[in-house]
Amino acid sequence: MCKGISILKARLKQELFDQYELAHRITTRGEATQQELHFMYPGASPIELPVIQDGQLVIMEWGNRNNKESKLPKTGWCRLESLQAGKWRWLSPEKVVIPADFGLEKSVWFQIHEGMEGVVVHDEHERPHVYMLTTAASVYYQNMTQHDRMPVLVGQEI
Amino acid sequence: MYIIIASMIGHVDADCFYVSAERVRYPHLKGMPVGVLGNHGACVIAKSYEMKQAGVPTGGAIWEAVPVCPDAVFVKRDFRWYEILSRKMLAEVQRVSPQVEFYSIDESFFRAVDVRLSAAERLQRAMLDRVGVPVSIGIAPTKTLAKLISDSSKPFGCGVIDDEAARLEILRDRPVTDITGIAKRSARRLSEQGITTCEQFANADRAKIRWLLTKRGEDLWWELNGHSVLPVQTKRPEHKFISRGGSIGRASNDVARVRGFVVRNVERLVEALNHYQLCCDQLILSLLFRDAPERSGRRSLLGSTADFERLVCAALEMMPEVWSPRHASVHYMHVIAGSLWAAGNRQMGLFDDDLYQSNHDRFDAIASVKSQINSRVGRFALRMGSTLPLKDVYADPANEYDICDVHGKMCF
Repeated sequence: MCKGISILKARLKQELFDQYELAHRITTRGEATQQELHFMYPGASPIELPVIQDGQLVIMEWGNRNNKESKLPKTGWCRLESLQAGKWRWLSPEKVVIPADFGLEKSVWFQIHEGMEGVVVHDEHERPHVYMLTTAASVYYQNMTQHDRMPVLVGQEI
Repeated sequence: MYIIIASMIGHVDADCFYVSAERVRYPHLKGMPVGVLGNHGACVIAKSYEMKQAGVPTGGAIWEAVPVCPDAVFVKRDFRWYEILSRKMLAEVQRVSPQVEFYSIDESFFRAVDVRLSAAERLQRAMLDRVGVPVSIGIAPTKTLAKLISDSSKPFGCGVIDDEAARLEILRDRPVTDITGIAKRSARRLSEQGITTCEQFANADRAKIRWLLTKRGEDLWWELNGHSVLPVQTKRPEHKFISRGGSIGRASNDVARVRGFVVRNVERLVEALNHYQLCCDQLILSLLFRDAPERSGRRSLLGSTADFERLVCAALEMMPEVWSPRHASVHYMHVIAGSLWAAGNRQMGLFDDDLYQSNHDRFDAIASVKSQINSRVGRFALRMGSTLPLKDVYADPANEYDICDVHGKMCF
């Protein structure tokens, strides 16, 4: 699977930092000159992900972890097989791209070229939630992360 | 010791090449601890200096590297991209020298026209500006000394050995294993004679070194003493062997899977034989086991060939006798073509007859169709059915191109 992502700070517009209070997510890796923002599941509250929707980068709640009363699936991931089987149809899911530069699974940070696919659904209050799409992991990904599921990457094979 | 400065050799060596190559197309990786993973995603085949500083060894498993360097970012290898940059680096060296040896994917030797340190620094700067890859450069009277000085100048350094003092300085207290060509076994033999440093090696009796390490060792002795005996080779010498193989990923005792890898490696071997227009008289199959000693088998082919059918039959015939004990798990293999001939000078077999010729023509026609289809659709698109158990290997396009597919370099 992929329990966290990192995106370069330079990819985000300044106004997003104020709008979504992102300052606490900023971090630096090693001696890199580029700062990153980490989004983890679970992690710093609120649990969120960056999403490209209608060409705009916005921040959305990642799945549904804390709201037990909500009808939304209590997870952060959506299996591609379930989506294709129509099990999410009742939520009218909309495919989106989750932009990312690195992914994290079982303590392994791996490089992401563009991002991964996700679906956005809305809760009872019409608030959007994004779920990360997953598929069966390639052998390479399994060896790398020891996990049998992997994100559906955009234009990239691992 | 007299050094002929008029005939100096340069050595260009990319700093952590695979990582630097990734940083060319993904500049945000600069300054980060980065590890490049090998063909199966489990082994760290290259690492950045930041990762090295954290204590991660090259060749170790990813699950050993992560606790040592938790911030590290891991990248999947891409030999096509590394070859593109490697050839650009080679072109840069060819701009400053008429005689360049493509030694390996990230190293080259050249006849140095300008032997000043400033010339090396200019080349280093040009390489960084035009290719984007940081390199270290050594200039010395011999290839072995040039490589020693570039290695000791890393990262992003330059060094010149242009007098006796500089030569002695580079040899002092440096372990003999720093010399290319002195691996563990040779080092052990030298150590038994009290030779552990480059300085001791260079000062040792030449005949003794030859006795210990044969002519190859004696060549290194001359080179360390400033006499060039290993020339800058602009053309690759003829192959004595061609080998294809490597790790098969997770060790396996599944016959179908191991057989699939043998067939895959024979297909790759035939491609290489055809590329170099060679045929072979012998085939060697070597299996390395996780839980048993390595074993090899050899077959004479009764006449030179590069026919896939004949080679794959020979390899599969050897498999049961080489795979012993049968319960052992294979994790590495080599299929090696030996006794090579130019395809045009093929040695006929004693039993080659019209039937052989008609079979050969049939195999040739099949190979031609296969090659045409694969050149249009993609390498390995049409392949032997025995490779079907390797779905995972063929599903990954990165497995279509390996380090040994980068042709023309002197060594692996």
